[in-house]
Amino acid sequence: MAGFAMVAIGLLALVYGWIAGLEANRIYANLHLNSFYFVSLGLIGLFFVAVHAIAESGWQVSMQRVGEAMSMFIPVGGIIMLIVFLSGGMHHLFEWTHKDHLDHILIKKVPYLNQPFFYIRFFVFFAGWGLLAWLIRKTSRQLDMNGDIQYFHRLRKYSAFYVVFLAITSVVSSWDWLMSIDAHWFSTLYGWYVFSSMLVTGFSVIVIFVFVLQRMGYMKHVNEEHIHDMGKYMFGLSIFWAYLWFSQYLLIWYANIPEETIYFYERLNHFDTVFFFNLVVNFVIPFLLLMPRNAKRVYSVVIPVAVLIFIGHWVDLYQLIMPGAVGHEAAGIGFLEIGLTIGFLGLFMLVTFWGLSKAPLVPKNHPFYEESLHYHTNY
Amino acid sequence: MNKDYITAYYNDEEELLKAVRQLKDKGLEILDVLTPFPVHGLDKALRMRRSRLSMVAFWGGAVGAALGFLFQAWVFTKGYPLNFGGKPFFAIPSFMPVTFEMAVLFAAFSMVFAFLIYFKLGPGAKTVIHDERITDDRFLVVVGIRKESNYQEIEQALIATGAEGITHNV
Amino acid sequence: MYVSPIREPLIRGEKNYSQVTKDILAPMAGKPSIYWYLGISLALIALVFGAWATYQTVYYGIGTWGLNKTVGWGWGITNFVWWVGIGHAGTFISAILLLFRQKWRTSINRSAEAMTLIAIACAGFFPLIHMGRLLLGFFIFPYPNTRALWVNFNSPLLWDVFAISTYFAVSLIFWYVGLIPDLGTVRDKAKTKIRKAIYGFLSFGWTGSAKHWSRHETVSLVLAGLAAPLVLSVHTIVSFDFATSVIPGWHTTIFPPYFVSGAVFSGFAMVLTLLIVARKALNLEEYITVNHIESMNKIIILTGSIVGIAYITEFFMAWYSGVEYEQFTFMNRAFGPYAWAYWIMMTCNVVTPQLFWFKKIRTSLTATFIISIFVNIGMWFERFVIVVTSLHRDFLPSSWSMYSPSLVEVGLYVGTIGLFFTLFLLFIRVFPVIAIAEVKSVLKSSGDHQKTAHHE
Repeated sequence: MAGFAMVAIGLLALVYGWIAGLEANRIYANLHLNSFYFVSLGLIGLFFVAVHAIAESGWQVSMQRVGEAMSMFIPVGGIIMLIVFLSGGMHHLFEWTHKDHLDHILIKKVPYLNQPFFYIRFFVFFAGWGLLAWLIRKTSRQLDMNGDIQYFHRLRKYSAFYVVFLAITSVVSSWDWLMSIDAHWFSTLYGWYVFSSMLVTGFSVIVIFVFVLQRMGYMKHVNEEHIHDMGKYMFGLSIFWAYLWFSQYLLIWYANIPEETIYFYERLNHFDTVFFFNLVVNFVIPFLLLMPRNAKRVYSVVIPVAVLIFIGHWVDLYQLIMPGAVGHEAAGIGFLEIGLTIGFLGLFMLVTFWGLSKAPLVPKNHPFYEESLHYHTNY
Repeated sequence: MNKDYITAYYNDEEELLKAVRQLKDKGLEILDVLTPFPVHGLDKALRMRRSRLSMVAFWGGAVGAALGFLFQAWVFTKGYPLNFGGKPFFAIPSFMPVTFEMAVLFAAFSMVFAFLIYFKLGPGAKTVIHDERITDDRFLVVVGIRKESNYQEIEQALIATGAEGITHNV
Repeated sequence: MYVSPIREPLIRGEKNYSQVTKDILAPMAGKPSIYWYLGISLALIALVFGAWATYQTVYYGIGTWGLNKTVGWGWGITNFVWWVGIGHAGTFISAILLLFRQKWRTSINRSAEAMTLIAIACAGFFPLIHMGRLLLGFFIFPYPNTRALWVNFNSPLLWDVFAISTYFAVSLIFWYVGLIPDLGTVRDKAKTKIRKAIYGFLSFGWTGSAKHWSRHETVSLVLAGLAAPLVLSVHTIVSFDFATSVIPGWHTTIFPPYFVSGAVFSGFAMVLTLLIVARKALNLEEYITVNHIESMNKIIILTGSIVGIAYITEFFMAWYSGVEYEQFTFMNRAFGPYAWAYWIMMTCNVVTPQLFWFKKIRTSLTATFIISIFVNIGMWFERFVIVVTSLHRDFLPSSWSMYSPSLVEVGLYVGTIGLFFTLFLLFIRVFPVIAIAEVKSVLKSSGDHQKTAHHE
């Protein structure tokens, strides 16, 4: 019931923000940040199931229920996000909604950046994600109940749909919800950068859930070999994230075109702590700590790094959103930010554990379940 | 190997694994096991240490990265500073690609050379080839004969594990 | 290790270890077939054409090419990027697929890596010849010289020098370390004294000791770990050649990952083109099965789709950015004088690979072969479109011009294709085309009769 307590802290933080008279932009930006962050964790949870289903891999089967349960948060987060937008968030977050004050550049973007179209896209994203998440979960349950191979093929088909759909929508949604905050600025890599950030966090959160479940006495069949693989994911994806970060930064730094460099100028001059914290926590620390083979196999290293990655990518998102939505005078990390994040985390945990309670933790009729159980690797 | 030894072979890696475990339990000295491909679990059965080659790669990479970075930094701040496109002389982002490549190059080469030198492998290396079939489909065990140990006893032990073609150099 | 019974076997036809050795070594023994002679003759003719073109370029200079003041990069750079791209499949297969534990890589990694090395050699030729004075090529390396001047470490072209040479060197040792045990097998199976001596020398005295194997595996694994980011870095740095500039159509942040994906895409296409022929010609159909082809086709869909998304993203961002130069460039690409090249690229790279969503097409050798050729063509045109369409419309309309290659440039391109096939055909005669030891190590878990035994 820690979850409920955490949600209470979140509500308290919201009330505090309101009473303390913090700027509305800041409150909306935090609500937006957290709903995006936790929705993306749900999306990656489902991606974990889907991508391994189409790759026909076996080792992860023993922990795929965690990913399925995380995807339960997608509609919940979607509703919160919608409420944030409808209750005035659009106005406070997105400069381009100020229809009467658009400059000559933003006027040109109106065919894409207008509210009706924005909401249409919003509904397409969530309808697609929600539907595919529901289908994948349902098929996975059916497969578990009677082990018929046709359900496995169906699972793979839905998974392929989901991966393709997510490949497109994750890019477009990141333009809509994050990049258009800095409405003048643009970068073609942006969508993939955000996706890589989501990916590494999502996989880290799966490990954390597995750890918690094992502490509670469940999931005894997950051993250090599985943790090793998750550790490798965290290590590799952290490097991949850094690679995309560097590619984007280098190209903008090198070409030195003012309308592009302004983005980093703002972040380097007014958000420098956050900017470098982002790099150190999300790249340097996982890179050095997870490099030795044995480090990837023990919870005592993997879990702290996973938690750091979780915090680090929250900060990553913070530096994507705040400079544009709030500005350096009003932005900051205080009780509002921390409390609200704890609240969202509590809600996310409640939803995920509720999801976990609805299906057996062990998908024992999955055709690759035996493989996962007897799984051990040399490297 | 200038020691007395007995060799025997097996036709299957599972037989070999079982045999190696049994021979080890009997306290026999296994000088070497020769196989046509890496047998999963054999290093555990032979109680080998984990390799330290990855440490060589790590330090090789660290040296390569440091060399690459410092050299570029020296060239552009001390050696011959030139203004390129208005960039600062000490332009960290544009030193990164070469630094990375140097790290990988040094890591890879230091490790491979360490491997070859440690095992004295190299072009034209002289090594003992016990049986030409071990690079094809035979799994050979080389058991050392100590002064005090009994030759017949070892041979019996080997036969008990299903070994074939027992030969020796004494 | 337990393997689920629903998985298809990787190696067909109830093999034992000795049979594997025999099958894989067979193409190296005896006299080459008539097709081999035919192939190498064609390749040598192409090579001679290339030699003539090289002579022309070196003797008369770059003026023999079709370049002009506005379009200063033409076929030379297009071919360079195309070849580097093709060189990405081998290391991708042997490094990234190793890290992802894809066992099917064992049948194709050796030949794919050989292709990588040859393709990098072909690629490296173009920047060298583009410098005009071939003999001064060493200027690109930082060495102490009388001018007291170092190379420009701020230039992406110099990063390329480091990236390509590191990539070649690391791929070479990765490939050779993997070859050592198999060369031991060749040595032990050799019939003549000379062969035995040569392969004995090349096999570095390999004995197959368990200790060696254990460390050999560690070395391969760490090399894979190093080569995986290296593969990404190489085409990333090639993309920097374009993307660090301020030329519309070149300066875009998506270039690094998009180039890498395109490189793997084209590399797999080339591997498919060659292996579909080679498996038949060398009687290796039981090792390189339809399953392998299908798996490669899935990677083609993946990378092809990523490339497709990147094309659309670029196009959309050109509009969204509001930068009129970007908008003009992209409209000019799609509807300008080089629109034909753009639509060839779009069809071959974005449309045709999507056919692989159908299992029937994915598992058909003929269809795969045709589509792989399409992808090869499409990826060449992608580079052509990027290089030429961005340049030929200068910022100053008075400098606008068109570009078409001269016979010399065509000769250089055909020449590298000749070189590629010559070296590949020699490779299949002197080295085992499939990693023998690696195939043996997966035979128990993924062979044919072992699979049927599991069923019973």
